[in-house]
Amino acid sequence: MIEIKDLKKVYAGVTVVDIPYLKISKGESIGLIGNNGAGKTTLFRIMLDLIRPEHGEVTSNGENVALHENWKNYTASFLDEGFLIDYLTPEEYFYFIGGLHQQTRAHVDDFLTSLTDFFNGEVLKRGKYIRDLSKGNQCKVGVAACLLQKPELLMLDEPFANIDPSTQIRLKNMIKQMSRSEGLTTLVSSHDLNHVTEVCERILLMEKGKIIKDIATSSSTLKELEEYFSVAINPFQV
Amino acid sequence: MTLTFIQHELKSFWRSKNTSKSVTIRIVMGFLILILLLYVVVLGFYLDTILEQSFPGENLIIAFSGMLLYYFVFDLLMRFQMQELPTLTVQPYLHLPVSRNTVVTYLSLVSLKSVFNLWPFIISLPFILKIIKPEQGLNTALLFIAAITGLTIFNNYLSLYIKRRSNLNGWVSICFSIFLVLLTLSDFSWHIISFRNLSLLFFGNIKAHPLLVLIPLALSCIIYYINFLYLKHNLYLEELGSRKISHKSSTDIPLLDRFGRVGELVANEVKLILRNKRSRSSVLMTTMILFYGLIFYTNKYYGDGWKVFCGMFMTGIFIINYGQFMFGWQAGHFDGILISKIKFQDFLKAKYILFTIVSSAAFLLTLPYAYFGWHIILVHFVMYLWNIGVNTTIVLFFANRNYKRIDLSRGASFNWEGVGATQLLLGFPLFLLPFVIYGPVAFFGHPDIALGLLAAIGLLFVLTRQYWIKQLEEDFYEKKYTIAEGFRAK
Repeated sequence: MIEIKDLKKVYAGVTVVDIPYLKISKGESIGLIGNNGAGKTTLFRIMLDLIRPEHGEVTSNGENVALHENWKNYTASFLDEGFLIDYLTPEEYFYFIGGLHQQTRAHVDDFLTSLTDFFNGEVLKRGKYIRDLSKGNQCKVGVAACLLQKPELLMLDEPFANIDPSTQIRLKNMIKQMSRSEGLTTLVSSHDLNHVTEVCERILLMEKGKIIKDIATSSSTLKELEEYFSVAINPFQV
Repeated sequence: MTLTFIQHELKSFWRSKNTSKSVTIRIVMGFLILILLLYVVVLGFYLDTILEQSFPGENLIIAFSGMLLYYFVFDLLMRFQMQELPTLTVQPYLHLPVSRNTVVTYLSLVSLKSVFNLWPFIISLPFILKIIKPEQGLNTALLFIAAITGLTIFNNYLSLYIKRRSNLNGWVSICFSIFLVLLTLSDFSWHIISFRNLSLLFFGNIKAHPLLVLIPLALSCIIYYINFLYLKHNLYLEELGSRKISHKSSTDIPLLDRFGRVGELVANEVKLILRNKRSRSSVLMTTMILFYGLIFYTNKYYGDGWKVFCGMFMTGIFIINYGQFMFGWQAGHFDGILISKIKFQDFLKAKYILFTIVSSAAFLLTLPYAYFGWHIILVHFVMYLWNIGVNTTIVLFFANRNYKRIDLSRGASFNWEGVGATQLLLGFPLFLLPFVIYGPVAFFGHPDIALGLLAAIGLLFVLTRQYWIKQLEEDFYEKKYTIAEGFRAK
């Protein structure tokens, strides 16, 4: 579904993304991990054509994302609050996003009803603009807007960071269920190794812009990752 | 401690994104501010001449003394409209071991750095030094300065105090506004009180009774203390902030539905304008321009060329004033726009529709100027065509080159955020182009042909919109990474 070739991005002499080749097949669920500054968000942004790489290309279904726009029809993503129109109410925002995908209001309403548990009564009909919601609830709006688009490819940047434990569990189940039953391809970054190993079948570990580990999740993965990160934080340990 | 605060304050000024990065812009901005200051300084230096002509045969000092209180009432009004509350600056200190008194003192002192506190001195100091000092001596001059200082500080803290109170309770601001209006009416219409007499009573007797100067000084101390206490007891973020909590509801703008997808984008932008402080105040300012005609059309001195100028401004001020910062208004969610299924063509069409709607409304609102002759309406119509044809395209061309984000939650007055080279460059084609075409033809005695030419070009651009949208779209694809990156930088 997605192919990355020869991708390189340099900021002020520092290489932040450097990926010779990466292939993501349809239906895979990928976890992207790495310490701060490893290049996760930059990679996401390049894949969404928000940043122009120095060279290399990202293709989605065979089309270069920088030259075509078809990928927007089947790709839903939420990286940060900058993706939300913050002076709209959540309802207005959902209707707007739904409208872009030719969904009627009734359809959007139906969909929102199915998320009642997920919202936990804190998002809809609260008489607030998105900018007045808490970070966690803004994240819920972003994720819900992604699901509303019925995507084939879902990209979330640290979706678990700001939301409460119940929602974390719900979100994990939703992602797992969608990738199993609808063949959704997911790409999720997180700092929480437990979450990623639980949801994702394949883990990509980034360090200084490079993907240094590409592993299929197994029962020993979590331990392996924990070892890597504890070494990484302790420079005195040889 | 206060010294550290001041250091932080200086750093925050020099390092803020508002204080623009590039040197050229800094120089140009500095130049503009200097010119503005110069105007006020000149006003100050020629105050005596101005007073002499406005009040012929009257003693200058009496005229000056009579004016002072009016000035301060006006000053209070302006402050109430435009002065910003210096609030969030204290947020990072509240949880640290810094005593409340220190924080509050700091917060109070910082509010003095407002430009409003400069005006009274720039305007009155030259007069005091030029006229009062030679005539009545140094002591009286010093008394005047002390009294003006007192009143300035009084106004400063009074307006802040009332603003803070009205954050918690909207009625305070309404009551205060009504009070100010009643006060003005009772002088100008009902003649119950007279600020002039009151002002004279005070400033006229200040030489004979120097102790009078204690009144404004005491008043300023009292209001400072009240403000201080109020702040101290209400040093909580949600109470200090300028955010009011009220129920927000979803709204539809049915009129725009007939434009389909594009209409939705327009509706969103209308919501953007109405629901955010900066855009709201900038649009409110533009409505003032509709009164431009009253200045120019009532005076026979201004010829046909001014009609073109006025017509362009009155029917197109929204395009110029709101358009100059595009797409910075949407900087907060620009990434969201880029990754969503919005075609950039539609995005541009929405801008065109928004501009056309507002310009049409402005044109309709200027129809009453027909009172000054139908020819004016004709000129307005020609410039309306020019605006929705040519100026919209120029503005959007420059929007593709504007990389500065705008924080929607802050006021528009004295806010230089988002101002950069683009806005300055944009001015040239916007202001000069119509005159480059109109000027020469009209100069050789054919103003009607000149108008016809403007109208024809405007119409041509309206009819070829589709072509321009295509051009702008291609142009955008080259610039979009730079734009998005600029908007991301907070």
